[in-house]
Amino acid sequence: MTAPVTTTSTDGPAMVRPRPVGRGRVITAYRWEIAKLAAQARTRATLAVCLVAPFVFVVLLDRQDRLPKDTLYGRWVHASGFATPLLILGFAAQWVFPLLTCLVAGDIFASEDQHGTWKTILTRSHSRSQIFWAKTLAATTFATAVLTVLALSCLTAGVLLVGHQPLESLSGTLLPAGRAAGLVLAAWATALPPLLGFTALGIMISVLTRSSPAGIVGPIILGLLMQLYAFLNGADAIRHLLLVTPFDAWHGLLAAHPYYGPLRDGTLVSAGYLVLCLAVAFTALRRRDITGG
Amino acid sequence: MVDGVPAVEAVGLVKRFGGLTAVDHVDLRVDVGEVYGILGPNGAGKTTFLRMLFGLIRPDAGTLRVFGRTWAEAGPTTLDGVAGFIESPRFYPYLSGRRNLMLLAGLDGGDADSHIDQVLDVVDLADRAGDKVGGYSFGMRQRLGVAASLLRDPQLLVLDEPANGLDPAGIRDMRALVTRLAGSGLTVLLSSHNMDEVEEICDNVTIMRTGRVAYHGSIDELRAQAPDPSHRLATSDDDHALRLSAEHHGVSVTAHHAGGLALRAQTADADGYLIALGRAGIAVRALHLEIAPLESLFFMLTETGSAAGSASGSATGSTSAGLRPRSHNVTGATP
Ligand SMILES: Nc1ncnc2c1ncn2[C@@H]1O[C@H](COP(=O)(O)OP(=O)(O)O)[C@@H](O)[C@H]1O
Ligand SMILES: [Mg+2]
Repeated sequence: MTAPVTTTSTDGPAMVRPRPVGRGRVITAYRWEIAKLAAQARTRATLAVCLVAPFVFVVLLDRQDRLPKDTLYGRWVHASGFATPLLILGFAAQWVFPLLTCLVAGDIFASEDQHGTWKTILTRSHSRSQIFWAKTLAATTFATAVLTVLALSCLTAGVLLVGHQPLESLSGTLLPAGRAAGLVLAAWATALPPLLGFTALGIMISVLTRSSPAGIVGPIILGLLMQLYAFLNGADAIRHLLLVTPFDAWHGLLAAHPYYGPLRDGTLVSAGYLVLCLAVAFTALRRRDITGG
Repeated sequence: MVDGVPAVEAVGLVKRFGGLTAVDHVDLRVDVGEVYGILGPNGAGKTTFLRMLFGLIRPDAGTLRVFGRTWAEAGPTTLDGVAGFIESPRFYPYLSGRRNLMLLAGLDGGDADSHIDQVLDVVDLADRAGDKVGGYSFGMRQRLGVAASLLRDPQLLVLDEPANGLDPAGIRDMRALVTRLAGSGLTVLLSSHNMDEVEEICDNVTIMRTGRVAYHGSIDELRAQAPDPSHRLATSDDDHALRLSAEHHGVSVTAHHAGGLALRAQTADADGYLIALGRAGIAVRALHLEIAPLESLFFMLTETGSAAGSASGSATGSTSAGLRPRSHNVTGATP
């Protein structure tokens, strides 16, 4: 019953082919994760909404007499185009950021369960770890892309539709246009660490539950609960450990005398969430039995 | 590769799902170049075994080597030279067939993507390769699964019930494809719940039953153990025919559960009995083969009590007692 191995294949056995190893494989898999995301209507629609929504928002706001005065920079939206991106930044932290990142992060693992394709990709030449890092990297890329697109689109919408008047700082001083633009972009950049924290949270929940809806809605609900806690309990210690707190760190940048403590603490807290959630997700994915599909 | 290393070798393999032992101390060896069948009814543990082979689930006990490599030591390189699919192959519905193959070729690395057109041709999907897989029929997806496997230019092809869920034409095409691949010298491990499918192309089989090996050995040895062919018989006087059968050695006649009689005998014995019926003035109105011998053996091995549970090709004589036909079982299992 034993035949020579050389007769079994058309052009040489599969095992002698040169194959990328280690990090090279993560990059290959990452490229395909990005290609898959690009092929999905949901991803494209999300980016399109991020691009267009700020303009719609500014136009709608322009027609309103009542201003969103309760929100930071709400009362200045007609006075300076630089107030628009800051108003939206404050608002987005409530649930928009968790939603935007988790549309991909909460789905990128669970969609393999939904399509039954774990077995398809895990029976090739990539390890589970390599696939895990490729997907995580792709989700992070998407989060960064969404944040960048939204930030630039808000800034452009504000400047084009309202104007580049000087912006009032949180201490009441006026910031000239150039400085204001830089601060607006810096403020948006401070949202990246907690956004990546929510990305990791979405990844963890979707790996554990194997469900996209849970991976998407779970982090949003957790985010809202954290906000509720912060709202009810003022300034206790636990508040500093919540993943929503770092979203406010940009306030320090817009003071007349900038302070960076919250930014530093927020980055550490976000990194903590990131490491913890990814560790749990990684372990769970490595251990689990792939019985579906 | 070292000569003599089996393509697949399982020793005492166990997998439990909670309280259920899906694979229960299974030993199995597939040599390089052979076409091997894992046969068993639904729930026998075939898929679970193959999932362990592919590293999708982890065994609770025992070892499983693929070309001498284990998952614990070799990781995904265990699957070098191995391809196939588990249950029905799954793809990304929002990508075209070709994009799906490109993705998998990318994950394989090397020059796999240069084979894509070739494998699409082999499975007859070249025309539809640009369409999204979401619009494919079940049979097309099954063929795309074969294409995705061939992309790896495998030495060992593992197919889990490849004809399952296909329409008759699809089954025919899939069998022809598997036969052709098997004929090319590839080592093939094929699971099936259908004796026919395995009998045609496999050299050796393992028959599984609720997680355990009920038989393993060659198809030829299995044939030698097969019981008498089973027929359904209709006569002008069934009662008389039934009484008459007592006088004929090697002939078993019982009332058929669906009316008429069930006749089980080797051809020569059956001939004698049928002639005797004519002589006694009993007309034979219908006689047709109900279950082929191998198939009926398969049902006995996998459906009856534990008596037949430990039959083995290497121990034919000692187990033949456990293989005696049981009419209530065999006649009840019309395909
Ligand atoms: N993920 C799972 N959880 C619990 N039981 C399972 C799981 N997968 C399979 N089983 C059980 O294991 C047994 C063997 O199943 P399977 O390997 O799919 O059989 P087959 O492929 O031969 O039809 C069945 O009883 C099945 O119900
Ligand atoms: Mg099965």
